[in-house]
Amino acid sequence: MKGSTSKRLAKLQKEGLTTLFPESTKIMVGSASCGIAAGADAVLQAITAEVKKKKMDAVVQKVGCIGLCYLEPLVDIIIPGRPRLTYGNVTPEKAKELVAAAKKGKVLEGALGKITAEPFLIEGTARDYNGTAGGVDDVPLYAELPFYRKQNRIALRNCGFIDPENITEYIAKGGYQSLASVLEKSSPGRIASDVERAGLRGRGGAGFPTGRKWKICLSARSDEKYLICNADEGDPGAYMDRSILEGDPHAVIEGMLIGGYAIGATRGFIYVRDEYPLAIERLEKALEQVREHGLVGEKILGSSFNFDITISRGAGAFVCGEETALIKSIEGDCGEPRQRPPFPAESGLWGKPTIINNVETLATVPVIAAKGAKWFSSIGTDGSKGSKVFSLVGNVNNIGLVEVPMGTTLRDIIFDIGGGIPNNRAFKAVQTGGPSGGCIPESLIDLPVDYDALTKSGSIMGSGGLIVMDEKTCMVDVAKYFLEFLESESCGKCTPCRVGVKRMREILTDICEGKAELEDLTRLEDMAGLINDSALCALGRTAPNPVLSTLKYFKDEYLAHILLKKCPAGVCKDLITFSVDKKTCIGCGACKKACPADAVTGEKKKAHKINTKKCIKCGACREVCPVSAVLT
Amino acid sequence: MITITIDGKAVTVPEGTTILEAAQQTGIWIPTLCHHESLTPYGGCRLCAVEVAGDNGTQIVSACTFAAVNGLVVETATERVLNIRKFIIELLLAEAPQAKVLQDMAQALGVVQPQRFTPRNELCIACGQCVRACREIVGVSAVDFANRGYERIAAAPFFQRSEDCIGCGTCVAVCPTGAITMRDIAEGEKATVPDGETLEGPARIMDNWKVGFKMKRCTKCGEPFAPEFQLEQISKKVSLPDDFFDVCRQCRM
Amino acid sequence: MKSSSKASIAAILKQYDSGQDSLISLMQDIQSAFGYLPKEALQQAGRELDIPLSKFFAVASFYNSFNLEPQGKHTISVCEGTACHVKNADNLAQMVARELELNGDEGTSTDRQFTLKKVRCLGCCSMAPVVKVNDDIHGSMTQTKTATILNQYRKDKK
Repeated sequence: MKGSTSKRLAKLQKEGLTTLFPESTKIMVGSASCGIAAGADAVLQAITAEVKKKKMDAVVQKVGCIGLCYLEPLVDIIIPGRPRLTYGNVTPEKAKELVAAAKKGKVLEGALGKITAEPFLIEGTARDYNGTAGGVDDVPLYAELPFYRKQNRIALRNCGFIDPENITEYIAKGGYQSLASVLEKSSPGRIASDVERAGLRGRGGAGFPTGRKWKICLSARSDEKYLICNADEGDPGAYMDRSILEGDPHAVIEGMLIGGYAIGATRGFIYVRDEYPLAIERLEKALEQVREHGLVGEKILGSSFNFDITISRGAGAFVCGEETALIKSIEGDCGEPRQRPPFPAESGLWGKPTIINNVETLATVPVIAAKGAKWFSSIGTDGSKGSKVFSLVGNVNNIGLVEVPMGTTLRDIIFDIGGGIPNNRAFKAVQTGGPSGGCIPESLIDLPVDYDALTKSGSIMGSGGLIVMDEKTCMVDVAKYFLEFLESESCGKCTPCRVGVKRMREILTDICEGKAELEDLTRLEDMAGLINDSALCALGRTAPNPVLSTLKYFKDEYLAHILLKKCPAGVCKDLITFSVDKKTCIGCGACKKACPADAVTGEKKKAHKINTKKCIKCGACREVCPVSAVLT
Repeated sequence: MITITIDGKAVTVPEGTTILEAAQQTGIWIPTLCHHESLTPYGGCRLCAVEVAGDNGTQIVSACTFAAVNGLVVETATERVLNIRKFIIELLLAEAPQAKVLQDMAQALGVVQPQRFTPRNELCIACGQCVRACREIVGVSAVDFANRGYERIAAAPFFQRSEDCIGCGTCVAVCPTGAITMRDIAEGEKATVPDGETLEGPARIMDNWKVGFKMKRCTKCGEPFAPEFQLEQISKKVSLPDDFFDVCRQCRM
Repeated sequence: MKSSSKASIAAILKQYDSGQDSLISLMQDIQSAFGYLPKEALQQAGRELDIPLSKFFAVASFYNSFNLEPQGKHTISVCEGTACHVKNADNLAQMVARELELNGDEGTSTDRQFTLKKVRCLGCCSMAPVVKVNDDIHGSMTQTKTATILNQYRKDKK
């Protein structure tokens, strides 16, 4: 690095440290989309107003999501002389109390956890908070919390810890140092080899080795090459990419710059979902900042490397997560996949060699560049290195984003980190891999999660959504749900996907309505095999997976629908009736009030009754019943 | 030149040749629906599925889009391939049971009309030949696909009267299932354009694109020979004498 | 089309070169100006940038986010992601459709106040089930809470 550039980064780093670790009190509000949905904006306003009113010397900041989504809105507070404390479920009123206590240098009770030393993953040094003042002994350390104990946050390293709209804080945490050292000390071939040796596999779904992909593109001859960041996170139930873009956009940009250098590209594109307006806004701000500081453009950091980045907004099509469809979409056309080969690494955007990496993959790259291939490959399993972010959602207590080493078992993730199933219900299955994935049953709960183990189980890693399902989830309905999803998201180009998936879905609808025959199960299996063999792209080829995996592990549920005309989980509306359990009902009348069809009768304090002829099975009664007396 | 093996026969073809073209050269029949030799290969119908040897066993590819590489080994009639073709025809037969091309193909492949699926009776099977022909041969792009997934269908913009169609009928010629209709209305007859006006003959109606044209009469023989709008459009693109289109082709010769 | 609309299309078109590369971004700009994609606007854009109208329609009808019809004053998007699905999001969508007296399971109410859309994952799975009204995302929804929010917007009108 040239002297002037190194000085420039050092200056920005110093500046960042002053807000990252201010002398004064610092209050941070988790302001990713999910936090905002939970009311973070009102909390932030309350804090800002209170700080102003009390004329406090304090830094109030928006940060990304630390992953404890089920406790949003989250507020972190650092009072000089004390550790960093996190509070959950913060209301504007509670926020005011927090400020008032901080003004007096006191600690409010009820903190979820504390951090005494904040790790700097890239520099490898830790920052201590001078935790000399007492009063927080009862608060557990983050590292001891069940939710965090087994995590290893690499891609999520900065989310919730830095101001995503301030580049200096990213730099203060070691950001852009990796880029600087790669540009100064490494060649494109060498950094590609490093990433290959690290064993990083694409986090977007297929798990292709990132370094190897880069090498293929590097050796392709062309006057121009492109690197695309695939931020079209379409798998329902997965939102780690959104969280990274909203919480740490510079990590992705730095990853793109290193990737672009490794393949010899001069232009980069971020193809981002239109459904993620906040991510787009933060990316735009981040790009303005890198432009201002000469981190994109020409002669980056004084080197001979030129690279610019453009944001390309998607328009709502799941199939655009597929590489060749994504390319068509950036070219301004319908997102229709085409046959590979040629692979985009040889002929991609506008016919030029193109690499497409996903958000999480790119956010991991700067850490590998800083800490080395050996360090990264020491984490994880034989075939899957490093850590993986999962969105742990559905019927699980601790809903959130977790990043664990590859090979962590499903049990650890769902029960230790996730805290098990709510309402004392039994765990039934976990769905992984989105619509191309499958449902893994309870018998495989000790499965170590990595690419190969998941594939072997009949599911896939996909982008890392883990949707937990309990005994009240109907697996046939889930299979139907995914086929409906794919039916409407199919581009329609090839026959097996356009027509075949629809016809499979029709059979599933018949099963859910009690109109199917036993033969239909063989028919489904046959069709699944043929679609898998003949569809044009991965979306179509993997479309039957949710059906195959549920047939494999939950055949009894299919049989109950077909032979007994019953939905054991009480979900499929044509096979269930709503009734009130006389013994449990307390006669509060809530169901009667909620019923839009006047189907509930009963007197106060006496058991109520549902007239099944009038009942439209909307579930409003079950939703309001305080004692779970409504049965299906 | 490269050499590939199809069903055990060695074939030498120029680089860039598709498997389908190579097979046709050797007289090996591979059924197709969305393919037309004058149009860009599409790979949509998947009927031309063949099995090629790869690094990890064999894989299925569409012969019309797969460019052959030296040493490639292709099988066109394995059980796996035949099952796929039958499946495709079964699916499409339920879409357009009355399409002759599908009935013939079903007979050739030994497929019977599938009972499990309710027939849709929509002749358009989204093969896209009309879309590509209008864009690549005619150069007009009057029609394209509308919607996606199962709802995908070739249509004029907004499912309304096409403003760009010149009534040349190329789409009718390439459509494999007869889904596109063109009606020439004789002198003295009347006919109505779908969702549109009633025209007096001589006229031409493209039903799918909801557009009708007045026909130009030849000043010599008096016969209607082409839509007036078509001739206007051609005159805009090609510089011709003003009176060039006054007479029909026969009378000009 | 009003002359003021023509002017705003002209302003949008000024930022674009001819050719198809920026088609989607151009259509997004048109939609944010009009709330949907008016045929006249696409025709004008097509003429000036030399793109066939059929291409505009193909792209507009391919992607979920484009509207070819004018939308209601408020857009209610019920998330249909997996996490929302297993938490009975279907019932929410049906409840809104009933409240708005829609014919299908999506669409615009006759008073043009509301458009109901079922959308793919909004990425707020931790708050499932999720309903978005205009730009505001509401988490952990129930039928009762959804009805309350709906009434809030109805009141605001009056």
